[in-house]
Amino acid sequence: MSKSPIHPVSSLDRQSELENSPAQLISLDRVSFGYSHKRLVLQDLDLEIKQGEFLTLLGPSGCGKSTILNLIAGFYKPLLGRVTHGGEDIKGPSARRGVVFQSNALFDWMTVEQNVGFGFRFQAVSKHERKKRVETIIALVGLRGNERKYPYQLSGGMRQRVAVARSMVVQPEILLMDEPFAAVDVQTREGLQEELLKLHEQVSGAILFVTHSIEEAVFLSDRIVILDRNLGGIAHDIKIHLPEPRYTAMNRVSDAFNQYRTDLYLKMKAIE
Amino acid sequence: MQLKMSKSSDKMTAFEGQDLQTQALREKAMLFCVAIAIPSLILILWEMTTRMGWVDELFLPSLSGIVNEFFAMTRKGYAGTPLLSHVLGSLRRVFTAFTVGTLVGLLLGLLMGYYKYVRAAFYVVTELLRPIPPLAFITLFILWFGIGEVSKVLIILYAGALIVMLNTMAGVQSCPKDKILAAQTLGANDLAIFLYVILPAALPSIFTGMRVALSVDFGILVAAELLAGDLGIGYIIQDASTFFNVEGLFVGILMIGFFGVMSDFLLRIIASRVVHWQG
Repeated sequence: MSKSPIHPVSSLDRQSELENSPAQLISLDRVSFGYSHKRLVLQDLDLEIKQGEFLTLLGPSGCGKSTILNLIAGFYKPLLGRVTHGGEDIKGPSARRGVVFQSNALFDWMTVEQNVGFGFRFQAVSKHERKKRVETIIALVGLRGNERKYPYQLSGGMRQRVAVARSMVVQPEILLMDEPFAAVDVQTREGLQEELLKLHEQVSGAILFVTHSIEEAVFLSDRIVILDRNLGGIAHDIKIHLPEPRYTAMNRVSDAFNQYRTDLYLKMKAIE
Repeated sequence: MQLKMSKSSDKMTAFEGQDLQTQALREKAMLFCVAIAIPSLILILWEMTTRMGWVDELFLPSLSGIVNEFFAMTRKGYAGTPLLSHVLGSLRRVFTAFTVGTLVGLLLGLLMGYYKYVRAAFYVVTELLRPIPPLAFITLFILWFGIGEVSKVLIILYAGALIVMLNTMAGVQSCPKDKILAAQTLGANDLAIFLYVILPAALPSIFTGMRVALSVDFGILVAAELLAGDLGIGYIIQDASTFFNVEGLFVGILMIGFFGVMSDFLLRIIASRVVHWQG
């Protein structure tokens, strides 16, 4: 991984670090996708995601954001072109690529602990190590004391925390998040965003995030890709430079933040 | 000033909250009273109509008469067989048929829910069998399997298995797609997904099916025992009817009701423990 765990670096360092890192993790090469050849959702799309990068996809509804995520997850196969992970074609879902769904997709019949530890059932990790890692991540997402609770005993925000922890604890090389915080209230949402940034700092790995919210995109991302409507492909590819640590509340109200927001808002308007 | 106002309004809401709670409790108590009062009233009316001679005892025996008949049966048995043997005979038939039927239905339902081709293979047959009342087959079963225990148990088994199978299949198919995808992205293979995701997701449906099947099983039991044999609660009902022993008939009917309610209650407790995440 290009990132070392826990490093208070400045934004420029972080961007140049990503810049200098030649390691492409995910690559979409002239990808076309549609449910039939007559109705395409994506056409000739090129996109690359670097190791450790936090990339957000923005764009009008129906522009294919979720489709890209599903292609990388291995849920869909491209009609044309290649989707590769570390140079190899993606043939189906894999534990190397975690997914967090908007619906959280938790297992209602398992406790928080069992949900979070689910991925370890299929990995050669010692019981002791497993327990330690589950405990650590539950503490990291602020759910200590809720280990034995079931999802139906938790609030929407807490459930989404469990879902994030469950995907992150097995340390996927990339975490794919499809509007994960769309269904929770604004305050919970901000808390979740800050925790996600902290987790991203501690657990190495890239994140591909899909959202409708410009603020969310600016606050979280190293890079934002805006997709055009009508198979237009990538309209804009913008790097975000904000001071580290990224998760401070100041980053939501700074001039730089507002500038990015205005700029992105106008760009989105131009597309719609 | 403003602080004071907000404080007093806080108090108000706290007070109202408590009031709502006691109100809810009171309503619960009222509902419970109604649920108890109405059946009690019916029983009193029943006893009165017969005591006053408003209705001929032949059509509606008195409650006390039925109770007396029940105790007489416990002492002397019915038709030369102890009452307990009749009861145990019936319960054994239902229990055997229900257990085996549930297992068969579960297995077929899981296979049909999971494998498209198994579903296709059984589709026409199940769609044809579904609307046919199981009782329509009863004489056929007697013809095929004899008039003894086997045909009785088999007809009950068939009726229950069909219901469990259909509910299990529906449960497997209703498993949310995103939970299966989530398990896949966590490294689960097909077997693990089936065991840890699809099967638990289907459990609520399976239990619903089992409860429906059990109540249907009791119905089929009585019908099967009415038709043939000399043992069981259904036999008591049939035999008592033949001899215009209306009190004995009522004892049989009430016993079926009692065991039906009790077994459903038991199953419901088990279900609420196993599928605790459902409601």
